[in-house]
Amino acid sequence: MVADPIARLVRELARLPGIGEKTAQRLAFHVLEAGPEQARELAEAVVAVVRDVRCCSSCQTLTERDPCPICTDPGRDPKIICVVEGVPDLLAVERTREFRGRYHVLHGALSPLDGVGPSDLKIKELLLRLERSPTEEVLVATNPNVEGEATALYLQRLLKPLGIRVTRIAQGVPMGGDLEYADQATLARAVAGRREL
Amino acid sequence: MRIGSLQLQDFRNLAEVSMEPSPRLTVLLGANGQGKTNLLEAVYLLTTLRPLRATRLAELVRFGQPRAAVGATVRRGTIERRLSVEVVPGQRTAQLDGKPIDRLDDYLDGLAAVCFSPDDLQLVKGGPDGRRRFLDRAAFNRWPAVLNESREYVRALRERNAALRAGGGEVERSFRGPLIRAGARLLRRRRDIVGELGPRLTAAFTEISGPGAPSPRLLYRPSGGLSLAGAEEELAGRLAELLEARLHRDLDRGYSTAGPHMDDLLLGIGERAARTYGSQGQQRAFALALRIAEVENLRAVQQEAPLLLLDDVSSELDPEKNGYLLDYVGALPAQAFLTSTDRRLIEPLAGPETRFFGVAGGVISTLDS
Repeated sequence: MVADPIARLVRELARLPGIGEKTAQRLAFHVLEAGPEQARELAEAVVAVVRDVRCCSSCQTLTERDPCPICTDPGRDPKIICVVEGVPDLLAVERTREFRGRYHVLHGALSPLDGVGPSDLKIKELLLRLERSPTEEVLVATNPNVEGEATALYLQRLLKPLGIRVTRIAQGVPMGGDLEYADQATLARAVAGRREL
Repeated sequence: MRIGSLQLQDFRNLAEVSMEPSPRLTVLLGANGQGKTNLLEAVYLLTTLRPLRATRLAELVRFGQPRAAVGATVRRGTIERRLSVEVVPGQRTAQLDGKPIDRLDDYLDGLAAVCFSPDDLQLVKGGPDGRRRFLDRAAFNRWPAVLNESREYVRALRERNAALRAGGGEVERSFRGPLIRAGARLLRRRRDIVGELGPRLTAAFTEISGPGAPSPRLLYRPSGGLSLAGAEEELAGRLAELLEARLHRDLDRGYSTAGPHMDDLLLGIGERAARTYGSQGQQRAFALALRIAEVENLRAVQQEAPLLLLDDVSSELDPEKNGYLLDYVGALPAQAFLTSTDRRLIEPLAGPETRFFGVAGGVISTLDS
């Protein structure tokens, strides 16, 4: 038997995604051993994240400052907007350091099965943005699955009439990878999406 | 591929099984309802990641238990790996050498299993869904990517149907894109596997029925009169037109009324439909020949016979066809699992490597050979 406060912490930690009972226990004992200072910092960080983080009124990403640092960065090209499903996707594109435009986070993808329609996504906010500031290109970087693909098509049909260039991220074999090791679905898609040399 | 040792835990009525199957023929003997078929089901799940029958995963877990597990060492070529599958209600997870797999291809590479069952007669006599399943599994044994492709199709279909029921509009139109892409792929796979199986079916059917028998025919019949000719992009184009033309009907009914999920595979003997005009004997020969055609096709393209599972086949076949099938299996350089209620039926087939196991009340024990 462990003391009740430990059991309570374990229970709370185990509610987090990807954390099972055993990992939760390991983390709880680690917190205990690390001492009160570190524990307070962790607790305060947890409380602060819920208190201080909100949606950027422009791109809808999660931010402490509204508008977010990306939206206010003068070095960013405002004429191109990259649309992603979630904040982790934004971070993934950002890590590449290839993209110098701005973002728009939909907070999901269309799924009639799960009852997610256009009004449940930040599409209205996107249209408003496009209306306010001149945009030349919208790069749709939703996930390459059924829902992400449908959402991309939806946006394409919605934005094309506005005279905005709508592009989709390329899909295919990752660079630095051997064809031999690419999975068949990816490879098949890469073959279908081939281009002239 | 060869299964070296096999372990089961809480799989249907089998609480705990650990056995060393024969590299050739493993015979499971026992009365009905003891768990023989459950063992075949476990092996099928392990080697294809799909349930053998159209069952929900939750049914595979032994009553009152949280999870079911199947594991085995499997030798492919000179490499031995450990495969395992765990089932909790609604979910199955596969592991390769004790690690979760990133890609199904790694796991499924070189694996293939074909099951002969008394239900096979339903391929001829039953509805189109059984024949579609037969085709998709044959295609999947042949090209493992089909597993993901057909899932994607089903996902897109369910999303589009939900959109149809919600009134259609732009959302429905948006889901047609992925539906058409996945649908065209599935159509091409089915067309290709039918093309491969056709000649092998004729050979097997003739061999079973003897010389002078009318020849069997396999004809894929797409819903909505779609033409199967041409490349995948052409198929996609025609599928798109078909969905557009049927939009009003689909909206009325609340589901997609055309597409690979509504297609059928016509089985003919001579100029007639096997289902309505074939004799009982011809129908059985046809069902058997379909399975053998699949085995022979895999043998030809993979240079190795798939794993064979034979579920109480003697109960359904007449002595002549039963004898033919047992001879066929005996002559094939393949690993096979066979269930039966009657040892005498199997005895003539037993070779030096045959292993007999008894199955009673969910317990499997070695029998003297």
